[in-house]
Amino acid sequence: MTFHERTNVQTSEPMTSVASVSSDQISRSRRPVLALGAVIGAGVVASSCAAQAPQDTWSPAGENAQMIHNLQWPIFAVAGIVGLIVFAAVGYAVWKFRDRGQPIPEQTHGKPALEIALTILPAVILAVIAVPTVSTIFALADTTDTECVVNVTGQQWWWEYDYPIADDGSICGFMPTAGNASPIITSGQMVLPVGTKVLVRGTSRDVIHSYWIPRLNGKKDMVPGRVHYLRLETDTPGIYAGQCTEFCGLSHANMRMEVIALERADFQKWLDNELKPYQAPETAAAKAGETVFIQQCARCHQINGLVDPINGELVVSAPDQFVWSGAAPNLTNLMMRNTFAGATWDLLSPQCRARVWEAAPEEFGERFLEGVTPECLNTVDLREWLRNSPAKKPMYADAEMLEVTDGKTRGMPYLALSEDQIDLLIAYLLERK
Amino acid sequence: MAIIERPTETLVPATATPAYVTPDSGLGVFRRPVQSEGWKSWLFTVDHKKLGIMYGVTAMAFFVIGGIEAMLIRAQLAGPDGTILSADKYNQMFTMHATTMVFLFVMPMAAAFANYMVPLQVGARDVAFPRINAFGFWAFLFGGIFINTSWILGGAADGGWFMYAPNSSVTFSPTNGIDFWVLGLLITGIASQTGAINLIVTALNMRAPGMSLMRMPIFTWMILVVQFLLVFAIPVITVALVLLMFQRQFDATFFSVEFGADPLLWQHLFWIFGHPEVYILVLPAFGIVSEVLPVFSKKPLFGYPFVVFSGAAIGFVGWGVWAHHMFASGLGPVSVAVFSVATMAIAVPTGVKIINWTLTMWGGKLRFTTAMLFSVGLIIQFTIGGLSGVTHSVAPSDTQQTDTYYIVAHFHYVLFGGAILGIFSGLYYWWPKVFGKLLNETLGKGNFWLMIIGMNLTFGPMHIIGLQGQPRRMYRWTEARAGEGFFNLGFWNLVSSIGTLILAIGVLLFFINVWVSHRKGTVASPLDPWDARSLEWLTSNPPKEHNFDRLPTVHALDEVFHRKYEDVGTDGHHEYKQVATTEELLAIEEANADAHIHMPSPSYWPIVLAFSLPILAYGVIYNLVLMVVGAAILVLGMYGWALEPSTAPETDFDQSPPSGGSELEVASHG
Repeated sequence: MTFHERTNVQTSEPMTSVASVSSDQISRSRRPVLALGAVIGAGVVASSCAAQAPQDTWSPAGENAQMIHNLQWPIFAVAGIVGLIVFAAVGYAVWKFRDRGQPIPEQTHGKPALEIALTILPAVILAVIAVPTVSTIFALADTTDTECVVNVTGQQWWWEYDYPIADDGSICGFMPTAGNASPIITSGQMVLPVGTKVLVRGTSRDVIHSYWIPRLNGKKDMVPGRVHYLRLETDTPGIYAGQCTEFCGLSHANMRMEVIALERADFQKWLDNELKPYQAPETAAAKAGETVFIQQCARCHQINGLVDPINGELVVSAPDQFVWSGAAPNLTNLMMRNTFAGATWDLLSPQCRARVWEAAPEEFGERFLEGVTPECLNTVDLREWLRNSPAKKPMYADAEMLEVTDGKTRGMPYLALSEDQIDLLIAYLLERK
Repeated sequence: MAIIERPTETLVPATATPAYVTPDSGLGVFRRPVQSEGWKSWLFTVDHKKLGIMYGVTAMAFFVIGGIEAMLIRAQLAGPDGTILSADKYNQMFTMHATTMVFLFVMPMAAAFANYMVPLQVGARDVAFPRINAFGFWAFLFGGIFINTSWILGGAADGGWFMYAPNSSVTFSPTNGIDFWVLGLLITGIASQTGAINLIVTALNMRAPGMSLMRMPIFTWMILVVQFLLVFAIPVITVALVLLMFQRQFDATFFSVEFGADPLLWQHLFWIFGHPEVYILVLPAFGIVSEVLPVFSKKPLFGYPFVVFSGAAIGFVGWGVWAHHMFASGLGPVSVAVFSVATMAIAVPTGVKIINWTLTMWGGKLRFTTAMLFSVGLIIQFTIGGLSGVTHSVAPSDTQQTDTYYIVAHFHYVLFGGAILGIFSGLYYWWPKVFGKLLNETLGKGNFWLMIIGMNLTFGPMHIIGLQGQPRRMYRWTEARAGEGFFNLGFWNLVSSIGTLILAIGVLLFFINVWVSHRKGTVASPLDPWDARSLEWLTSNPPKEHNFDRLPTVHALDEVFHRKYEDVGTDGHHEYKQVATTEELLAIEEANADAHIHMPSPSYWPIVLAFSLPILAYGVIYNLVLMVVGAAILVLGMYGWALEPSTAPETDFDQSPPSGGSELEVASHG
């Protein structure tokens, strides 16, 4: 029951934080992408267009990734140049000294002076590389300047985010407008304010996972029994895609995540929305859907404030009794996220997805905060998922495989929902935002 | 005509102690086999050359299996949302692809070359412990088959070759696949460990007169370094595997977080083995290239002592860099910085090798045979892999690259571009020595160019795919995160998959070449087709069973070259004149053949002893009764091994002793 846990957090200067690094402080002019060419080895390709994959490691969008980038592109350049020199030397030797009937050359084992010089040369190059490497390692490891804490927990095969309440009642450095705060628990998409240094405190509930948003920072393994720290900071509103990068079993490929960066005012709106009381379903279908949810889903999935109309009691999930990792995504404001099932499928239909994912930074916040509207819902994937989730995403939900986990599933089992039930559930879930 | 050792009446005095078993005192079944031809001569052989060929053939078979696994992986990833393999099968496929290529192809292929060539290169008649040598081969073969039987016994291991805990525990991998993997690698580990001890003793103790360590051929040197790495690395992985076996079979809690275990323990154990393992894979190929380049450049290896000591330096520093596989695992900045700098340091001796190879060719007289092409190819391809390695020795940069396809690209340039190109160079170079027939050069060059084009098309795009953020070990990728234009992941994934087809055709050409070269009617190879330089060329093709008619006395590095050529230049000017052909050199050796040639007898027991290991392993997985059977065979094998006579009795031979007066000594070891 992490829902009721209240985590004390010490953040440095929790209330005085403002965006300390503006986006124009970070050089946007240097964007060379050096790709090791398919055939010839190394070549420098200047790339300034936005055509890269969303997980491009050469398009930093935050201070940490920028630090890495400032270190890596000169090293790629040096490696490329050294490579070209070696290729040129080998190519020259191959051409120049091919057998054209010349006499047998001197049988010598070489010149020690030349040998020593050529040993020292790479050592010097590497020593030069080592200095900024070591300083960057320590700079990246420093998390004392962070202003916001998000707890990140990996499990097969999704990420949970838990925004703890600081001693002063703030969450991520923001005071809830309505006053009384409770920890926000969400999954898949981590919502962050731009220009804020965020301390990610990560662990795992089962096997090792790795948290990686390439445009924001390098990856960090999230290891059961350990808490690892990662600093994230975004400088522009938008969606930053990532993926679990430590092999974590069957559906490793289906364990994704995104960071949603919002302007500070938009983040406040998102925060207040997350903390608002439970919204009872409005339409008849949604009301019936609530009942289906309570019967079929609520034993694992929490919706905060949901009350069972039959007995008037708060519905509290108990995923620890059914799921090996002991957790299932909290669905309180599901439709404020736009991906589901480990951020693997879109809740937004393809047209609406582009509208949000490709929005200009100044429009992004507004579009994201619209959430998923009925006309924008990607019903295809959501229906397939509700119909038979293990068929869509490979999971250990088959009773025969569950002897070793005391019958607990790893992932969401097949629930044998009827098409009617699915309709009602979708109607209910559409109002969860 | 093979020599099988025969007893003489005079050799064993009547007062011999019981520890010294004579043919007469041996029990009925405990005899030595005598076949020198037919399948029994292979099954019971202790001849390093036969075992070398057996290692090679078996390793090649596993190469094909591992290659098919690789092609299935690439077929799955050729397009988005691949459906050729299920997630489960895909995970098994990449686990077994790596396991097969590392443990069942590259390592035993190096063992093949080492077994065959090290005794010949140091001027010995066999390895130091011939029966242990045979045992090592059979343990490797049975271990390899054992692992692969998991495919039909409920599915192969699915945890990746690095088998990180706790994903490797029964909870997360309930099939027996990982059990097969653990036990199979324990068995092949025994093979590697025994082989390593054997080759160390051979190289250190059995060198021909005059061969100081600094006159030892460079291939033997690299093999020696590798064997020392194995001797220290195999125990580490053995410990890790035993812990994992207890975790899975007997509910131990070494990696159970709920009992306070730290999963990073496995990572440290695995990579303390795993990083030296990289050098175990690649140094033999470096040795081969360092033999081939001088021969086809008609020059000695540039900076031989530097190459020797840089190899040894890699062997030492290789132990201090394991945590660079763990830069993202949360080690803390001090550890990361130390291992980052150590990793850069190891690039120096590796760079020394590249420089020395290039300078070996510099000023030479280069002949571009297929063997030479593969060696030059290795310099280029390995350099690419080495330089991408430098980019992730920089730990912050590595946190963006690790577990992406960029790493996959890197280590395939290192292992395919390094180890496998080196192996093919060695195959073309030593083929006439081993089989007495030349491989076809035209087919060989086709083989080379298709493999080079194929490997660059396969692994080159992975640099782009990885830097664009596609992680490894994903059974599918999605169009939604593929990007557009030049960096479109779909395009490069397809290119990579097409590359595997070209690569496969290239490898197929090798097998066609072997077939073409061994059809009836193909001419025998000249005795010394490459104008070679080291001792293995001072015997017939294929070598005689006893290798050398008389043990050579060594006066120089590149002994054979210096016997063939004399420097007749004056005043600092060098002019080399051929003073003898290899045929003439061999004739001299034959005319002065040793009177006493000591060869070990074949033995039944290595294969019996090795056979007990997979039985025991099946027992661990399925039934303790099987373990009892396995243990019985094991004990029988050990008794047979200890109590068998040194030679077979005279009556076991079906023909009269060969004339010519070879009076054979009784083997006192083997």
